[in-house]
Amino acid sequence: MKSLVSIREGGLANWALRLGAAAFVIGLVFWVPTSAGAGLISTAIEALTLMSAAMALNLILGYTGQISIGHSAFLGIGAYTTGIMVSRWGLSPWITFPAAFVIAFVVGVIVSFPASRIKGVYLALVTLALGLVFPQLLTWKKLSWLTGGGAGLPNDDSQLQTTGFNIGRKSGQMQHFEIFGWDPFGDLRRPDNKAAFWYWIAAVVAVIVYLVCRGVVKSRVGRSMVAIRDNETAAAVMGVNLVKTKAMVFGLSAGLCALPGCVIAIKIGSVSPEGIASLTVKGAITFLIVMVIGGAGSLWGPVIGAALYVFVTEKTGEWANDDAIPALIRPLFAWAKVPPGDGIFAILLILLMFVAPRGIVGVWNQYSSRIVRVLPRPAGAVGPAPMAVAVMSTVTDSEREPE
Amino acid sequence: MKRTRGLAAVIAAGALLVAACSDDKTTDSTTAPSTADTAVETTVATGETTVETVADTTPVTEPVAAGWVVDTDICVDADAANAPIEGTVKIGSVMPLSGGAAAAAFAPVKDGYEAYIKYANDQGLLGDVKLEVTIEDDQYNAELTPGAVAKQIDAGVNIFSGIIGSPNNLAVRDTLNDNCIPQLAALTGSPAWGDVADYPWTTGQLVPYSVESAVYAAQIAELYPDGAKVALFHVNNEFGQYYVDSFKDLADEYGIEIVGEETVEATDSNPPTAQITNIAALKPDVIMAVPLGAQCISFLNEVANAKAANPDWTPATFLTNTCASSLILGASGQAANGLYTSSNLIDVVDPANAALPSVAEYLAYMDSVGKASVAATATAGWTTAEITVAVLIQAQASPEGLTRASIINAARNFTFTPSLGLPGVEFKMNGEDDPFLAESLVVRQYAVAADGSGTFTDIGKLITDFES
Repeated sequence: MKSLVSIREGGLANWALRLGAAAFVIGLVFWVPTSAGAGLISTAIEALTLMSAAMALNLILGYTGQISIGHSAFLGIGAYTTGIMVSRWGLSPWITFPAAFVIAFVVGVIVSFPASRIKGVYLALVTLALGLVFPQLLTWKKLSWLTGGGAGLPNDDSQLQTTGFNIGRKSGQMQHFEIFGWDPFGDLRRPDNKAAFWYWIAAVVAVIVYLVCRGVVKSRVGRSMVAIRDNETAAAVMGVNLVKTKAMVFGLSAGLCALPGCVIAIKIGSVSPEGIASLTVKGAITFLIVMVIGGAGSLWGPVIGAALYVFVTEKTGEWANDDAIPALIRPLFAWAKVPPGDGIFAILLILLMFVAPRGIVGVWNQYSSRIVRVLPRPAGAVGPAPMAVAVMSTVTDSEREPE
Repeated sequence: MKRTRGLAAVIAAGALLVAACSDDKTTDSTTAPSTADTAVETTVATGETTVETVADTTPVTEPVAAGWVVDTDICVDADAANAPIEGTVKIGSVMPLSGGAAAAAFAPVKDGYEAYIKYANDQGLLGDVKLEVTIEDDQYNAELTPGAVAKQIDAGVNIFSGIIGSPNNLAVRDTLNDNCIPQLAALTGSPAWGDVADYPWTTGQLVPYSVESAVYAAQIAELYPDGAKVALFHVNNEFGQYYVDSFKDLADEYGIEIVGEETVEATDSNPPTAQITNIAALKPDVIMAVPLGAQCISFLNEVANAKAANPDWTPATFLTNTCASSLILGASGQAANGLYTSSNLIDVVDPANAALPSVAEYLAYMDSVGKASVAATATAGWTTAEITVAVLIQAQASPEGLTRASIINAARNFTFTPSLGLPGVEFKMNGEDDPFLAESLVVRQYAVAADGSGTFTDIGKLITDFES
């Protein structure tokens, strides 16, 4: 198939494209908290936490091929680690992030050992059990001294009436967040400033999760993961330690998934299985759906899937009112007395799986190459990248790189 | 063929996406009729009288001398809190409108709420001031509540009212109090809404769980003067836990022995067969039950099965008033016969109440707005909106006029007889001395006739002992 333009990987044009894309993303990340209202910022926070969880899941499912429908439990570990450490022990929310990562990592590694003996649907069932049992564990009466039971945290025994930053108007409460004397957010009691504060926490977490995923995927471990996903036997023959690799990736994925849980606990100021849907199995299924729709096994897939999911559900939130449904499709949804966002996303999922099983990123890769094709570096090439060559394409189908 | 099929699928997906992204937002707003001024004067002027019977159905707001006054000096923007609200009062709320069983249970609350706001506009209850309500969906998920509230604040909402769910209200309480935005009539019975000192801008509407459980404990003591063995059955969440903790605290005082406790998860839709079997084995005199939504029905059916299997066991069943709707009890059939519960509102579907002017007017209005099918369960939303409007009327009549500060001052110095309240029910708050709006209840027993129709019978008088 012909492309309009072909450029060399690592060339000037390739770098210009990369920098342009990076500038767009960075510009968007900065535009939201500086120009949007608190409502849109809050929506962006939802998207950021969802994409962090989906990226973490992508590591184990998209790249390693290990099905997990229980990642909501790891997010819950993050939320409850923050909740317990802040409201029960009065610790700073900041130190709960590494603590949550370590705890979830350990739990993830433990779960991975039995999981390493099984695969496919059986592994899915094991992780599903984890996702189902975790909320029950939180409400278990014998653990209520720690988790607050069904009522969650904070409760009457709590030192602080919040699981997040103690922002408030009274003396002794946090009103500003200063970095070496610099107050980037202003009065945190204002909804837009507070939302911007949470936004940057969520954004930094998302960036960290992305960078860790990227670092792992591009490393030797990442190649081992892909080898396991594609053919376990062949990977083992090639010297990949299956048990160790799976355990480490499962632990890392679990640890990363705990971080957005910390963000949620900080943001809403309380934790309970009823109050945070993401820590129930519904959350795990949502992570799975957004990852698959965006594109499993691609770094940007979960990012795009999560943004799209939040956007669609947000935009259709008012459709319980028939008049709010655009006239063109009102007959399709007027019968539903509830906002049909999840239903629309389910239809999108079915349609995309039909035409694009690799998700939106897969579609993008397929069709963008008809316009601009990035020619890979010649095998064995070393040294600085060759000068960019932008030529009108004469590339034929036979030269098309394998997908 | 494959290409065509794929193209069609892409077009369909694209159409859905475009439709989802198109902006066609509407809010419920109607213009007040020209008779508005008269209506306001009439309503405010009736403040001196107290309604003694439900036959006289005009909702009554009694202006209370402003004792408690909110401190706006610590507001983020004190000027905004004291700025006059002119033209339109924008009311925001967040309710579960999608997301499963919760949506089905709470959707009628939205209908009732919007219907009363329309009614208030039609009647011109606030004169030239128009009411506009926007209700966002949070799927009963507290993660989504702050975003929904922030969006409404961006849109210039003046007050919030009727937000459903304890975690959901807690998730926005700090923001609304810091910014001095009234958070009226939180639709939960959590004791947290009584913290006037720390959260003056947040008020609750429902009878506190502690009060309701105390009412049942007192009734059990009356039924079993020599002491009663009670088994607890409750949903394992914040609602159930607060409830049974309150009940346990009162047990010794009322000579109650707790012989067993069984729980059901909030998301569990299976019949609680094992739990009720365990309770039946203990043969308690009373089952005190705190289920949630559809669990009320399955609980009653399982108790009926257990009774049938143990003919010598005839426990009294006490059920929280969240289950006491004709919708739920009607669906339970004979299994609901004889249970005890409580209420402070009129049962609008009881034929015996059909002739009451307030009920007739309510049903007629709901019918006129096409919501007759949910009228039985929409009373909660109707009453919440009615309380909110009554607070606004009182604030409007204050020397400051309508401001956010005057609204919360009115809410905290408030006495009101709701149109659908039982005779003698008064909703009142008085600063820190009385932080809870509703603390009166009447215990009722539900009887199911042979044809399956059910009626409530009041057991004793309205209990007002818990009023501050």
